[in-house]
Amino acid sequence: MTSPKNDILQGTLALLVLKTLQLVPMHGWGITLHIQQISDQVLRVEEGSLYPALHRMEQEGWVTSQWETTESHRRARYYRLTTTGRKQLKNEEEKWTKLTNAVAQVLNFAPGKA
Amino acid sequence: MSWRQRIRALFNQGKLSADLDEELEFHFAMRKQLNVQDGMSEKEAASAARRQIGNKTQLKEHMREIDLFTFPDTVWQDVRFAFRMLAKHRRFTFTAILALGLGIGVNTAVFTLYRAFLLRPLDANNAKELVNVSCITDQGRYDANFSYPDFESYRDRNHVFSGLIAATADEVTLSDAGGSASSVGKVVGTVATAVGFRMPSVMAGTAEFVSVSLVSDNYFSVLETNPTQGRTFDSDDAHSTTPVVIISENYRRRRFAADPALIGKSVKLNGVAFTVIGISPQDFMGTSLNVPSFWIPLRFQELLHPGDDILHDRENACCRLNGRLLPGVRVNEAQAEMNLLAEQLRSLHAAHSDLSKPLTIQLRPGSPFGRDLDINLRFAIALIMSAVGMILVIACANLASLQLARSAARQSEIGIRISLGASRSRLIRQLLTESALLGIAAGAVSMVITYWVLRLFIVEIAAALPAEWGAFALRVSPDMQIFGYVFAISLLAGVLFGLLPALESSKANLISAIKEESTRFLALTGKNRLRDGLIAVQVAICLVLMINGGLLLRSSIRTLRMDTGYETKHVLSLEVNFPDGFGYTREKEVSEVRALEESLRSLPSVESVSIGRSPAGGGLRSATVTLEGEHPSAENSRILYYNYVQANYFGTLNIPLSLGHGFSMIGAGIDPAAIVSESAARDLWPGRNPVGQKLTLDGGDQFHSKDELLPVRTSYQVVGVAKDTRGVLIDGTDIRKVYLPLPAARLDDRPLLIRTKGDPWLLKDDIGRILSSLDSNMIVNSFTLDDLLRTSPQFVISRCTALFASAAGSLGLLLASIGIYGTVSYAVVRRTREVGIRVALGATKRNVLGLILVESTRPVVLGLLVGIIGAIGVAQLMRAILFGVTTLDAVSYVGVSALFFTIAMLAAYLPARKATRVDPMVALRYE
Repeated sequence: MTSPKNDILQGTLALLVLKTLQLVPMHGWGITLHIQQISDQVLRVEEGSLYPALHRMEQEGWVTSQWETTESHRRARYYRLTTTGRKQLKNEEEKWTKLTNAVAQVLNFAPGKA
Repeated sequence: MSWRQRIRALFNQGKLSADLDEELEFHFAMRKQLNVQDGMSEKEAASAARRQIGNKTQLKEHMREIDLFTFPDTVWQDVRFAFRMLAKHRRFTFTAILALGLGIGVNTAVFTLYRAFLLRPLDANNAKELVNVSCITDQGRYDANFSYPDFESYRDRNHVFSGLIAATADEVTLSDAGGSASSVGKVVGTVATAVGFRMPSVMAGTAEFVSVSLVSDNYFSVLETNPTQGRTFDSDDAHSTTPVVIISENYRRRRFAADPALIGKSVKLNGVAFTVIGISPQDFMGTSLNVPSFWIPLRFQELLHPGDDILHDRENACCRLNGRLLPGVRVNEAQAEMNLLAEQLRSLHAAHSDLSKPLTIQLRPGSPFGRDLDINLRFAIALIMSAVGMILVIACANLASLQLARSAARQSEIGIRISLGASRSRLIRQLLTESALLGIAAGAVSMVITYWVLRLFIVEIAAALPAEWGAFALRVSPDMQIFGYVFAISLLAGVLFGLLPALESSKANLISAIKEESTRFLALTGKNRLRDGLIAVQVAICLVLMINGGLLLRSSIRTLRMDTGYETKHVLSLEVNFPDGFGYTREKEVSEVRALEESLRSLPSVESVSIGRSPAGGGLRSATVTLEGEHPSAENSRILYYNYVQANYFGTLNIPLSLGHGFSMIGAGIDPAAIVSESAARDLWPGRNPVGQKLTLDGGDQFHSKDELLPVRTSYQVVGVAKDTRGVLIDGTDIRKVYLPLPAARLDDRPLLIRTKGDPWLLKDDIGRILSSLDSNMIVNSFTLDDLLRTSPQFVISRCTALFASAAGSLGLLLASIGIYGTVSYAVVRRTREVGIRVALGATKRNVLGLILVESTRPVVLGLLVGIIGAIGVAQLMRAILFGVTTLDAVSYVGVSALFFTIAMLAAYLPARKATRVDPMVALRYE
């Protein structure tokens, strides 16, 4: 159903979304824009993955949602982090750091170097 | 997302879908805007945006899948885990389910029976519209019976009922009916016999008694019930004189082997031919308590009982009335109008009748019970229900203490889970799931138990009733409302007690939870009070149940063994009935009875035959008594119970005469002779010799039947004094008796008492032969006087409640024992380490053992004390039905208390001893 590339992104998608929401509550479109812009267009989030992910995070209790009006007076659903969400974000960040460090270690390994 | 939101999510697909649509619309609009800003045309921007979003339906599907996975995922996890935990502690699980199941099951069964039997409505369609009619006289007397002319007046003049019916129960003989004869003889359920109940057996010729209901013509139409075959009584019948009858399906099956062509056939009731015109539905009871064999129009009552005119006698209150309210008419409106009508009828009644004076009509919701239940019955019922309720309490307390014991063990497990990141709410949820699972399993078990208890009860009762009483149709299935209620209570209790330890332990300090020492001390000190309290409660309640059960049991045994004052085991009582409609006159009846007496005397094992009411038999009659030289007035009116007996009555029943002599040696006195009982003599002539005294008896204004033999201001002279015999009245007033000589011309209407050498039942065949050779139409009820005692109200009530209380007590004992044993022994096991420490520090084994025993049995002793006080209190309440046993019967109290104490001691002693035997080093390392 999902390609391998999407799997990795899905695992990190939660992390990215949580981090995005850490700053300020946002609606789905805002999250998409933010991630795209900050990553210099490298990471593009598909709607097909974002909304299910947001839904799942809401089920798990990491975010809550509320309908509000935007500056342009349209109705949109805003998501914000919960306390559990913040904890989860911390966990995920730690996991990510551990992972990247480990990968870096393996990549930097050269036989003979002390 | 909270639980509630999740559940709502599952059911709210529509709204969620709409929400998602709106959200995606917004996203689409923003994307399109961006595309346009980037330089695409409107159309291009739109289609590009739509492509980005992708297939909306697929998206929604994806969301739904997430819902399904995450919601039950955690719940499913909980359930699986709960299952594993319960399976691991098999003994606990089994005990808990059994205890709770028994508690719920028994409660549901008893309350179902109560509701189904005592609170049931009339057996009719739209029964809610039916009311019972009764009246309260000026004197405060309650009466549910009205005369037929009064019924007609009410029926024709009222504007509040769509129909008013009259009905009365009767017994008639069926003859010449062909078909298979019903089995007569003892039909008693095996369990009922085993616990001491007896039923009189019937010896018959070819005639059979059947129970019928005499009803008004509109009976079936007002009750809105139609016969399954044939027709009901209708107004055409009112003018025709052909006697017609409707047979019940039950009787048709039992007596006529479900003869399909019964309609149109003729049956002889009391010698009169009736045509069967219809069959009432199976188990249809109408306004009666049981299913009558026949329904007969009231119009034909005189055919059945010649000389008895109820159709025109306004003073003969024969029938119960029920009315169906017109739509829109309220009960108080109807009651007001009925009172007006009653007022109008007053002048039509004779001056001496209560109905000529002011009275109040009462309308109550329709019920087969004519009046409020007898106070003794109500008391017994209240007793039974509270006993059953107490079992439930014990079961819940049991469950609670078991869970408490278990939670102490699980504290380390819980602590570890907390340290691994489980949230408190998750933990509580998981424990709740466990309790819920237990509750559901217990509920299933209880349904089975309820079903079997109900079946047992109904089968036994139905088997114990003689066929002549009509069919007993109790349609009882477990009442789901009651079940729901009881189940909810138990579940609540179970969950609560599962929750308490959960809350406690989730608060626990993480470090101390993992370290065993602190855990143990926590279990020793912190929880002690709750655990001890539970044990004490179980012990106390159980004690109350068992002690009172024991008291009742001993009392019911005493009622049989207590000296009755007359011979019971070797005396057979024969009640002879001459069926109406066969042309029996009093002279004929008397001559047949005399012939019977002679024939019976000729039998070899018969020692003596006499005629007279037995001391415990029915037909108790009283009269006002005035002494010689007194003028009857309100102050000196006394009541004495009289009994007409033959001269050899005292010899046959072995009642000794303490003074004077019997009737046969009548002196030359003018007044007829009388013999008084000792207590009557003491009461009437205290301190003086009663022999030779005169007294005047008047039974006219006391209860009696028409044409009955009774003293009407007759004077008697006392010739002898008989020893007291035990009576039937609970307040004991009928030991004050006077025996009057039975005139030779009035041998009818009284039983024959046959004193035999050996077992009276051995004579059954001989007696049967004599009866059939003498007159095959006679119907005879026979039982020994011992059997009769077993039908007396004292015995039945106290035996029933005794059995019940004992059963409840035993059940409670079982539950409490398991709970106490488990909890106490577990607590002691947990102290094994402490024991090791103490021994290592130099305490003697005996000291340690003593300490543990004392501390463990403390709550039990407390429970015993509370329980004994409670038991005394309850026994005081039950004073009225405890015969021959004081409320402080030492045997019961001491016996049961000792039993409990022993159990508790054992529960503490065994593991304590094991702990002291263990090498201290091993104990210290014990986990």
